[in-house]
Amino acid sequence: MPGPDRRRVRAWVLSLAALAAATAAMLAARPHLEKAHIALIYLLIVLVGSGAGGRTLGLTLAGLAFVAFDWLFLPPYGTLILTNPLDWLVLLAFLATSIVAAQLLTRAEGRAEEARRRTAEVRDLAALGAETLNAGRGEDALAAIADVIRTTLRVERCAIYAGHGADMRLAARAPALGAAAAVPANSLLMWVAEHGAPALELLDGTSRVGAEAGGESAWPDTRDARVLALPLRVRDRTVGVLHIEDQRGIALAAGGREFLSALGYYAALGVDRLRLTAEAERAAAFREADRLKSALLAAVSHDLRTPLTTIKGLAHAIAEHGAPRHDPRASAIEEETDRLARVVGDLLELSKLTSGALRFQLELNTADDLLGAAMQRVAGIAGGREIRIAVEPDGALLTGRFDLVHAVRALGNLVENAIKYAPATTTIELTARQDGPMLVLAVADRGPGIPAAERERIFDPFYRPPNFPPDVGGTGLGLTIARGLAEAQGGSVTYRPRPGGGSIFELKLLAGERPPE
Amino acid sequence: MARESKRADTLLIVEDDARLRAIVADALRGDGRRIVEAATGADALAAAERERPQLVILDLGLPDLDGAEVCRRLRTWTSAPILVLTARANEAEKVALLEAGADDYVTKPFGTPELRARVQAQLRRARTAPLPGSEGPVTVAHLVVDTARRTVTRGGEAVHLTPTEWKLLRALLANAGRPVTHAQLFRDVWGDIAGDAQQYLRVYVGHLRRKLESDAYRPQLIVTEPGVGYRLAVEPVSASDAGP
Repeated sequence: MPGPDRRRVRAWVLSLAALAAATAAMLAARPHLEKAHIALIYLLIVLVGSGAGGRTLGLTLAGLAFVAFDWLFLPPYGTLILTNPLDWLVLLAFLATSIVAAQLLTRAEGRAEEARRRTAEVRDLAALGAETLNAGRGEDALAAIADVIRTTLRVERCAIYAGHGADMRLAARAPALGAAAAVPANSLLMWVAEHGAPALELLDGTSRVGAEAGGESAWPDTRDARVLALPLRVRDRTVGVLHIEDQRGIALAAGGREFLSALGYYAALGVDRLRLTAEAERAAAFREADRLKSALLAAVSHDLRTPLTTIKGLAHAIAEHGAPRHDPRASAIEEETDRLARVVGDLLELSKLTSGALRFQLELNTADDLLGAAMQRVAGIAGGREIRIAVEPDGALLTGRFDLVHAVRALGNLVENAIKYAPATTTIELTARQDGPMLVLAVADRGPGIPAAERERIFDPFYRPPNFPPDVGGTGLGLTIARGLAEAQGGSVTYRPRPGGGSIFELKLLAGERPPE
Repeated sequence: MARESKRADTLLIVEDDARLRAIVADALRGDGRRIVEAATGADALAAAERERPQLVILDLGLPDLDGAEVCRRLRTWTSAPILVLTARANEAEKVALLEAGADDYVTKPFGTPELRARVQAQLRRARTAPLPGSEGPVTVAHLVVDTARRTVTRGGEAVHLTPTEWKLLRALLANAGRPVTHAQLFRDVWGDIAGDAQQYLRVYVGHLRRKLESDAYRPQLIVTEPGVGYRLAVEPVSASDAGP
């Protein structure tokens, strides 16, 4: 298919030739022709010419035909003078008709051309959209978009950057140039990403930036620019920057701006897709790490607990065989094994808690179950200690929404703490009440209390109060674990001094809805 | 109990750690018991069919078969109690084991006395089945429960139970001495109709305790098994044996 310039030249040559041929033919037949015949034939040539060659050709043909008509076909022949005044009317009517017809035709032709261009754009965009969606990898889709932008706008280079600030990196470029990863974004690109507005680098090397938030008015004139940087936005968020470069200056055809906007949107979607893919991969990696963590903890737990059971069993057997002369060393082994088992248990619990490997099942539970199971848990170390349990109001069936297993462990640790640090002759008071949206379990003792300076440190792992015997038992993790277990299910563990001496530790858990009667 | 001493019990111990297996075997020997040992799940299944044990002690960390799977396969033909040794304090796993047919579990590291007590309790429970409740009134701690007449007396005084509380007590009584999962209790009390009632199971237990226990916060009868369910901790005795 011939190019538009060649087609135009051909239209001119053919139209002028047709005009000359028609004039010559009509001159030969002049005696037999009416003025109307001549006007109609010329008009036909003007119309065909402006249809094929545009407005200029149409007007040129009209002018030439006007002169030829007057000179050759209106008497006196050979002059521009007219004897019959009515001939002026014929001639001017011919000229006006030719010009109007040429104008109308050209305008219609222009509209058709515009429609053809739009159709081509829509086709390109649709193809690009399909390509973006179908490309196997997000990077391939972006590369395709960069290539389409470069060829459509006829610029030298097109690049797409993803991300923000220091994290911004080259995601795709056309033409592709081997490894693209290490290309850093310059300050112009960072400005565009930060402000969400376009910016230019002019041919003279200076930069010009657009207004913020990239409205229509902020669209810069690109003719004397060698770089155009546009923000890529998805849902009012800038996700990257489109970078177009041409050392000859960037010429955007009419409608090129809209086309570029549409392409930019595809690029933005492509960049966002890269981000989502990366996030999905990260999430999958986290899940896998989580699974490994749980498996590892389970294995460690098994491998530590089985030999502990063996040692405990052996110590017990030795103690039994020694009867009636009981060997206290065998009992010591058994006791130390129990202590070691507690340390192992606490360490595993803490590592599960901090690594997020614990699962919390928040269900409707009763304060009864929590109190009863916590008492069972500390039964082994409570000895003959008096632990008084009260529920307010008296005998009420309080409920909470919590994980019973972990709550029992938290409350058990608080009670265990009171047993360890308060004198053996004092009473420990365990109270349950509802306080607005929280179920509160308070453990009050008549121990030495905690000095003000230490009150938050007691929740640190391995913290031990100063001036306390080191063999008080426990691991120094009890309060840390209790607080962690409470907080992980929307509750808390707090300390306050008890009026009259001693400590009150409060475990708060989410209260439950009213149970049916 | 006359029939108890007639026959020596056979105990099957399944544990892959040889030392621990020997310790468990030593601890449970006595009373003329016969101890059979197995180190893998496959061995255990073969030994169980050959030896017909009265009780199986099953470790969960077996190299070849999943513990729950061994339970399920044993349950296809034997009702002998299964006592599981588990190293993980993981309640979901305990629930799965109980649902697969295990009767009780002991968490490592356990002491010899605790293991013996659990084994004795399971053997007694297996021997007294079917439950005396189906024949006549039974005494549970300070209570006398008459399943046929649907009456409970506490220290000679009648206790009024709602139909739900009664069903709950009966379900616990039928499994006395062994932990019963929330799901199983729910099935026993409400049938297969799932609904809001399930989350109130714990509340109904609270009501029941207030009627039956002397201290609802330190229950001696209906003991909480956190994350698993409940256990009727006291073994019922036929009321006629206990005497008037």
